[in-house]
Amino acid sequence: MLNYRMFVSILTMMAFLGAWELAPRIGVLDVTYTSQPSRVVAAGLEIIRTAGFLRDVSVSLSEFTIGFALAIAIGVPLGLLLGRFPLLRYLLDPPIMAIYATPHLALLPIIVVWLGIGMQSKIAVVFVGGVVPILVNAMAGVRGVEHSWIVAARSFCARERDVFARVILPASLPSVILGIRLGLSRAVLGVVVAEMYQSQAGMGNEIMRYGSEFRTDYLLFDVLLVSLFGLTATSVVRRLEEKLWTAGE
Amino acid sequence: MKGAPVVLGIASFAVILVIWETVVRLSWVNPFFVSQPSAIAASLSRAARSGELGHNFAVSFREFVIGYGLSVVVGILAGAFAARFRTVEYALDPFLWFLYSAPLIAFYPIFVLWFGLGVPTVIAMSFLLSVTQIATSTLKGIQSVNPGLLRAARSFGATERDLLWKVILPASVPMMIAGLRLGIGRALMGVVVGELFGATAGLGYSISYYGALLKTTDMIASLVVIVVLGVLCTEGLSAVENRFDSWRTL
Repeated sequence: MLNYRMFVSILTMMAFLGAWELAPRIGVLDVTYTSQPSRVVAAGLEIIRTAGFLRDVSVSLSEFTIGFALAIAIGVPLGLLLGRFPLLRYLLDPPIMAIYATPHLALLPIIVVWLGIGMQSKIAVVFVGGVVPILVNAMAGVRGVEHSWIVAARSFCARERDVFARVILPASLPSVILGIRLGLSRAVLGVVVAEMYQSQAGMGNEIMRYGSEFRTDYLLFDVLLVSLFGLTATSVVRRLEEKLWTAGE
Repeated sequence: MKGAPVVLGIASFAVILVIWETVVRLSWVNPFFVSQPSAIAASLSRAARSGELGHNFAVSFREFVIGYGLSVVVGILAGAFAARFRTVEYALDPFLWFLYSAPLIAFYPIFVLWFGLGVPTVIAMSFLLSVTQIATSTLKGIQSVNPGLLRAARSFGATERDLLWKVILPASVPMMIAGLRLGIGRALMGVVVGELFGATAGLGYSISYYGALLKTTDMIASLVVIVVLGVLCTEGLSAVENRFDSWRTL
């Protein structure tokens, strides 16, 4: 059945790309607005050769990496702690949920006022976007640990530290990874949008510049590149997640 | 013991507000950067009296309702068709996958080319951000219906229509509503970000506007309204979700 699935998926994609390529040629769509697959590929080949491209990619990548590493480094331990200690959770849960329900990119302008238009503000946006889902899911993971396991470990004289390291941590790992995956897409969005809003370099900066120059083909290539990055990163984490889920059973 | 989380939750907001106000009053922190709760409250009441707040809220809310409403209709229809016809599911699959993981806001400059600056672009972003969530949740919800239930209903002579109304819908509604709830957050994000970039009114616009003037207090005031709106919408649908889910435990 997998073959039929692939067949239909590939066929519709081809049909979509074909229609996109043909429609401007026969004059149904204006190529200025929609571009064409062939033009996007041509634009890509040109962009890769430009001097600024590598710099923009590395700026965006480092903003993403630093911000997301911080989000993991702070979100996971804090989430585990909140899951373990109910009192702390009751105190911090409402503000965290309020941030979770808010579109975090609304914080962009104030973060720019605080940290300027350089890399720091992008790192902060990536961090804020990534940390909340990571924290919330780590917390949920700890709370979802089968209580009888903890009791069993305790009755075999496990110390509090052992319970945490050998029971709670491994059992909540799949949920932690799920949080990382959810945080990932928000973090990628954060980098691009923060750079689109105010910046001096990066992929978002390029996207905004090409947009204001009406170079749809250049813009689409950059958007596709960022999407591909997000897609790849997400599926790598998803693989890891599936492996962990099956390992637990 | 049951009320404890609520009390502690309210206490935690109160503590945050008091600390915030105190550190600014004691001039440990420059109010230019963080403002202070009392000034924000004053700014909110001033904006409310002058009608500015009402206007911005109305603009954003209308964009949100249209964008999200479109998403609900299109998302549920697409999800239902994909669940009913396997070929539709396979055909939609790559597009849904792409829309789900692409940073859609990067399409903003193209939308401006297509629809111009302002309301239609904001609606389009809000629609596009939320529609995939709703479509995939509907699809998964319908697919997760226990096939045993379907077989049982069929063997008692249920027609296609009976199946839809009496088995498939009741069983898949909880998951659909979970999708609708997640969609709210994304639709709201679309509205706010769309307005940050290019709009002439709305809550996102006013954040961006006051940000450019470095008026922190007014900026945080608009932010507070967005937070409240987000929390209210999400909580509202959570309540609906619990209601629809309650029959399962009975």
